[in-house]
Amino acid sequence: MSHSTSACNGQNVTSHLLKQPGVLVVRKHHSLVRWSHWLNLPILLGLILSGISIYWASPIYQHQPDPNTGNFDVAADIGIWICVHVPGQHHYSNPPDWIYNHMSLGPGMLALALRLHWLCAYSFMLNGMVYVAGLVMGGGWRSLLPRPIDLFDALRMFRYYLGFPFAKLARRQWLHPLFNTKYNALQRAAYFSVPVAGFLSVATGWAIHKPMQLHWLAAIFGGYNAARVWHFWLMWVYILFVVPHVILVFADGWDTLRSMIVGWSTRVERSEVVAK
Amino acid sequence: MNNEEEDDLLQGKDIPSTGVEPEVKSVSVKKQEGFFGERPLPAVEMAPRVLRHQSRRDFLLFGIGAVVALAGGGFLLPQQTLSRMGVRRNMNSPGKEWLLNRALRIDDDVAEALYSVNRMVPTYTKSQITPLKNNYNGATPDPVYISRWTLTLDGLASGLSISLDIQNLLTRFSVHEQITRLVCVEGWSAIAWWAGLRFDDLLRAYPPTSQAKWARVESSVNLDASGNPTPYFMSLDLATARHPQTLLATHLNGQPLTVDHGAPLRLLVPVKLGLKNVKAITRITYVAEEPRDYWAERGYSRYDGI
Repeated sequence: MSHSTSACNGQNVTSHLLKQPGVLVVRKHHSLVRWSHWLNLPILLGLILSGISIYWASPIYQHQPDPNTGNFDVAADIGIWICVHVPGQHHYSNPPDWIYNHMSLGPGMLALALRLHWLCAYSFMLNGMVYVAGLVMGGGWRSLLPRPIDLFDALRMFRYYLGFPFAKLARRQWLHPLFNTKYNALQRAAYFSVPVAGFLSVATGWAIHKPMQLHWLAAIFGGYNAARVWHFWLMWVYILFVVPHVILVFADGWDTLRSMIVGWSTRVERSEVVAK
Repeated sequence: MNNEEEDDLLQGKDIPSTGVEPEVKSVSVKKQEGFFGERPLPAVEMAPRVLRHQSRRDFLLFGIGAVVALAGGGFLLPQQTLSRMGVRRNMNSPGKEWLLNRALRIDDDVAEALYSVNRMVPTYTKSQITPLKNNYNGATPDPVYISRWTLTLDGLASGLSISLDIQNLLTRFSVHEQITRLVCVEGWSAIAWWAGLRFDDLLRAYPPTSQAKWARVESSVNLDASGNPTPYFMSLDLATARHPQTLLATHLNGQPLTVDHGAPLRLLVPVKLGLKNVKAITRITYVAEEPRDYWAERGYSRYDGI
């Protein structure tokens, strides 16, 4: 801020004639939040790609080996199904590896995947600390906290999203529910869940990485094997979050996307209203 | 959803404007709620030129970051993955190896810091025992070696090379039992009931040279995928060897070890990954410098502490 103030004053002195009206903006995202937000993208991608390669070495979801193929891995079954049913995949050379070849670094590279996973995991923890620091310094953490009214508001938002496509088709007006907070209840639930999932991913990660020295941590999640299951499904939280997140950001418009890059938003109206 | 005005400050149109002096100042100051209550976002009035300047800077940084992330991804991904994505060029580089190995070493240092000779691993009851699979690539070595088997100790303070057969070991040392979990680097694990002598007792009976910090543990009866004997050598720090739950195991589930599980003597280090739990060990050499390690040479951790 001090930098912009001085730049601004300097401009006033030099170009009085070119005086322009001021722009009202709100500071929406702290710079540390913005940086860590975008850094999460490559880090999480690296974690998921290497993570599924690690999963390949000993899949959690197994069945009795197929007498003909020896296959016991449910992910391999899905790959085989895809190669049979998805057009263009019929001639895929190794159907059991389809999932691993498309959703991970690939099968049979455990050592490489582990090294990349550790690199990304340590980056993820550091980045998480930067994110939390940004939330605290910018005060943004308060906007993420769930409130008692959220269940009702979340239902209103669900109703809005469900009706939205029909209203568009029928060319009817379909008003967005009004909120006087930074985020609506559904957004809050999502934006609150992701840091929680991040924390749990790190905790379960340590539990399965150091199950002897940190056996108490594994015990919290129900033991070593259960912690592996937790760690696997926590990955899906990010995947399931990202899809609507990206769709809705684009639907919400340029201001919203831009605010995560530059930090400010021109949507000042919400900022003027204090809750109640 | 608000049909957001396609405002673009870079073009300076559709800007909520107040027409006052372009100065940075807060305009919305409202009473604050409790500690957890949401504050209104601080609205500030900014000169368009300043905003434009800042935005340009931030977009530039974002673009640079995106390019760096993309290049970094290409730099760090395994060659196999890249070639599947259609990259023909050889992207292997010393820098990539250095960075990934650095992450591995940091992780090893963390594991070493977590280790304590006084921290016991969890033990289980007999009802919790699970099947333990054979990892000799599905093959088993020819059992004739067992009759000729001896354990050789080198690098001792006495300067001698000692050979012990299984009877020596079982009669000279007290046998300890434990039901612990063996965790494989692949992710699977098994709870098994082991019995054997403590490595620590062997170290006390045959002390290594004073400079020794490592044990090189060798097995000459491991098999490769086609069933041929292949030398297996592993490094073990003596701090871990001295852990009370580090055994030179002779029995599994109440029975003498079978060939599948490393008869007649295998190393059992529950604080390390399964790949350090060498089967059918034939030689232990105490050395001052970290010895070579079979799996470390294949890209895995050297320390493998869990």
